[in-house]
Amino acid sequence: MKEFRVNGSTLTLALFTQATNSKELLESMQAGTLEPEVAFLNASLIPDVFPVLAAAHKTILAKSRDMLTTRTLHSELVYNYSGSKHITESLKRCGISEDSSYILAARFDASPDELTAIEKLIHGKKIDLDELEGRANKAQIQKHYKISGQELGISSLADAIACRIAARDAL
Amino acid sequence: MDIDSKEEDGFRVLLKQGAEARVFESTFMGRRSIIKERFSKKYRHPTLDSKLTLKRLNAEARCMTKARRLGVATPALYAVDPLLHTLTFEYIEGPSVKDVLLDFGLTGVVEERINDIAGQIGNAIGKLHDGGLVHGDLTTSNMLLQSSTNNLVLIDFGLSFTSTLSEDKAVDLYVLERALISMHSSCGNVMDRILVAYRKSSKQWCATLNKLAQVLRSWLPTA
Repeated sequence: MKEFRVNGSTLTLALFTQATNSKELLESMQAGTLEPEVAFLNASLIPDVFPVLAAAHKTILAKSRDMLTTRTLHSELVYNYSGSKHITESLKRCGISEDSSYILAARFDASPDELTAIEKLIHGKKIDLDELEGRANKAQIQKHYKISGQELGISSLADAIACRIAARDAL
Repeated sequence: MDIDSKEEDGFRVLLKQGAEARVFESTFMGRRSIIKERFSKKYRHPTLDSKLTLKRLNAEARCMTKARRLGVATPALYAVDPLLHTLTFEYIEGPSVKDVLLDFGLTGVVEERINDIAGQIGNAIGKLHDGGLVHGDLTTSNMLLQSSTNNLVLIDFGLSFTSTLSEDKAVDLYVLERALISMHSSCGNVMDRILVAYRKSSKQWCATLNKLAQVLRSWLPTA
C-alpha cells in the first residue's frame, strides 16, 4: 500500500492478486453500498503508477471545479484512466468485472480506519506496486489505447497512456 | 505503509515568455515538467479571446500526441487544463539543435554529429508529413537533443495543423531552410543533408520537394 500526494489530496493505492470476491465487490459498488467508497481498477491495464496519478490529478481538478462527469469521485478516476469518452465502456474495461482477480484499489484521502476497511474488503493477496510492470498485459493495453509499435519506438507504455489520459478532452 | 516523500507539486519557475504563452518549469506527480500557459490578449473581445485560446490549446495537445503516434519523439503530455489554459508536459533534458549548431560555428563542425542530427531531423519531418501533420514552426530552437540518448525531440506544436497538401509541407520545409540559412550558414549546407533523410523517410517526398522548388521560385524576391 502506498500513498501519493495529488494536488493537495492524497491517493492511496493497494494492489491485489487472486481476489475471489470481485462479483460481490462489483455488486455493492453498483448498488452504491460500498463502504468506504473505493475505485477498483483492472490492474492488467496498468504498467506503472504514473498514468494512474495523471488520471487522479485530472479527477481532483474536476472535483474542485464541480465538474465531475460520472456519479462519484472514485468512478471518475476509473473513467479518466480509460482515456476514452465512452463512460459505460470505460468503467467496464478499466474497472473490474465479475471474474477479475487482479485488482488495483484506489482511494482519495483515506483515513487509517478506511485503509484497514479496504484491506478487508478485498479477499485476495496483497502485493507490492512494483509488480505492476511485470504483470501488465501489454497486448491488451496496446489494443485498448490503440498504441502502435511505431509509438513504442519513442515512448514507454506508461507515457503513451498518460498522453491519452491528458489529451482525451482536447480531442 | 510508505508515504511517497516526493516534493509536493506546485512550484513554478518562469523560463520563457513569448507572444502567445509563458513557459514555466515545475513538477507533475513527482516528475520534472514544463507548463506552457497561453495568456489572454486584452485587445481581443473576451469571448473571442477565450474561444481562440482554448481552440489553440487543444490543437497543440492533439498535434503533440499525434506526432508521438507517428513515431516522432515529442515531450509526453501530462495534463491539459482548459480553464487555466495550460499544457503540462515532460521536461526534456538537453540542448537545442540551435545551441549545438551555433557551437559548431564557434568551435568547428563535427561532421559525424551534424550528419546524425540532420538525418534525425529529416527522418522526423518525413514521418510527420506522411502522417498528415505539419509542424508550422520548424526552427532549430524547436528541436532538442535529449542528453541521455542523443535523440531528437520536436517541441512547440503551437502552430501545427493537419494537412495533406504538398504545399503546406513544402512551406514547412521552406521555413526550416530559411532558419538554417539565417542562423547556421557556418555549418555548411545542413538542409541538403536533411532532405536526403527526408527523401528516405517520406513516401511523398517527390510531390513535396517539387512544391518546395515552386515555393522557392515564387517567394524569392528576385523572381
